[in-house]
Amino acid sequence: MKLNPEQESILKGDNGRVMAMAMETVVKYGEAFGAKKLVPIKSAHLAGTFGIGPYRAYIQVLRQIVSEGLRVKVPTTVNPKPGYDLNFINRHIVFTNQQSLEQLLTAIGITPNYSCVCYEKANVPSFGDRLAWAESSAVQFANSVLGARTNRNSILIDVCCAITGFTPEFGYLLDAHRRGQILVKLNIKKMDAPALGYVLGRKVVDKVPVIEHYPFTRIELKNMGGSMAASGGVAMFHVEGLTPEAPDMKTVFDGPPMETITVTQEDLDALRIRKSEMSGIVIFGCPQMTYEETLAIAERFVNKRVEIPTWFCLAPDELTLFKAHYLYGKTLDAGITVSQDCPLAAFSMRLNRKRIITPSGKMLYYLKGVNYGTEDDCLRACGVLQ
Amino acid sequence: MKILKGKPVVKGRASGPALITKIPMNFTASFTKPKNLMPFWRSLVQDNRHDLFNKNIKGSVFVYPATIGSTYTGMILLELMNQGAGPAAIIVQNVDPLMAAGPILADVWFGKGIPVIEYPSEDIFDTIRTGAMVEVNGDTGEIFVL
Repeated sequence: MKLNPEQESILKGDNGRVMAMAMETVVKYGEAFGAKKLVPIKSAHLAGTFGIGPYRAYIQVLRQIVSEGLRVKVPTTVNPKPGYDLNFINRHIVFTNQQSLEQLLTAIGITPNYSCVCYEKANVPSFGDRLAWAESSAVQFANSVLGARTNRNSILIDVCCAITGFTPEFGYLLDAHRRGQILVKLNIKKMDAPALGYVLGRKVVDKVPVIEHYPFTRIELKNMGGSMAASGGVAMFHVEGLTPEAPDMKTVFDGPPMETITVTQEDLDALRIRKSEMSGIVIFGCPQMTYEETLAIAERFVNKRVEIPTWFCLAPDELTLFKAHYLYGKTLDAGITVSQDCPLAAFSMRLNRKRIITPSGKMLYYLKGVNYGTEDDCLRACGVLQ
Repeated sequence: MKILKGKPVVKGRASGPALITKIPMNFTASFTKPKNLMPFWRSLVQDNRHDLFNKNIKGSVFVYPATIGSTYTGMILLELMNQGAGPAAIIVQNVDPLMAAGPILADVWFGKGIPVIEYPSEDIFDTIRTGAMVEVNGDTGEIFVL
């Protein structure tokens, strides 16, 4: 890899030992993938916001960074908090490093958005921007829907890029890797975007799928992507005539697709919860709900009362907006709990063995004891829809 | 003894018994369950959707096709390696930035990296069986099946 004089000097240790180690991390990361140079980034997004007790290496590295007074060089947002205050187990057994971690993140100068949908307000990239983001669902939204360019960066790689201000140029930063690979045909009567994402993640694993035209909403793209990046390792997808780098099939593919697959209604329906399983907790918001998404769902609970515990998990800045809307009061009156935490982390340890019912394909993959339902299925489980 | 030649990704030499799966790996779903909080169960695969469920990855030469899932991956692998509970080496059919981050971070920040080799061809699954002793040279990309 060819470094410029500034990068060479950082690597040599001119800006201190820890900064040199951060640079060494970024350089070795690039070399592993044949990157020819490091490029400046517009922003970073960090995924490491859960202070999981036994996982100490992350905190140790952050402490070294803070001890030399290093701060992020670019605007840097962070993922949601894990529900530290939710219960005794989270506070005293699982997230026992949470307060130290948040203090360290503050010390390196992050934007305290604490949300995985950072691209909505706190950290909005433009088309073509080069980024060093972590968080599989945010990476995918930035690449696919916004046309920005980031690899799927791990926790700590994201930190090293943020404090050096550089990321190696390989993978999804390069045109060649952003073209479509697998053509996806739809044979579907009723769209269920998160289920489609889950099925596609399974089928395409880490390739770039191109879905034939369907008028997905922004919310559907977000929830489909979140699922696809959990059941698969998809960093980028295209929708013909909808996402910015897929105006038509000819442009998005470089020659014929390497494979064509068809997703059917049966594939989607196979994930859905059965009527007999409809008890437990209903959780909306993984990835976290946006303001618009919350309004659309909250509307369906107006003047009703949930029959089983029901949670809305919103990004904090989206919740601030929601609190000013009359539907916020209606939501609380319906008996719904409104949270700003990451439901994946918050509910990973559950004392009572209650099952979770959710319209999130991402949560379906990560947690034990989860049933997936369409939005209507979940409303039926809540007892507010016949 | 058979010798295979792959592409070196992360340097180093190591050996151990092979642990093999043909199913893509979600390291985060595998190693962040309640059981993994206990030191002696840290390296037990706890992804109940995976064929390696309840298998121990510690000390193995881990052979798998591709990485899926969360950007926690690098931190999870770093943590396993730092605690001496990680695999001895990794051979993957399609290398990705999330998995590679683990050994690179462990190397730079803790001096505990492990070799990684990319070996795309399917014949890896015919040549190496789970349990076979394998030696990996991450400097040259050579895989020795003993």
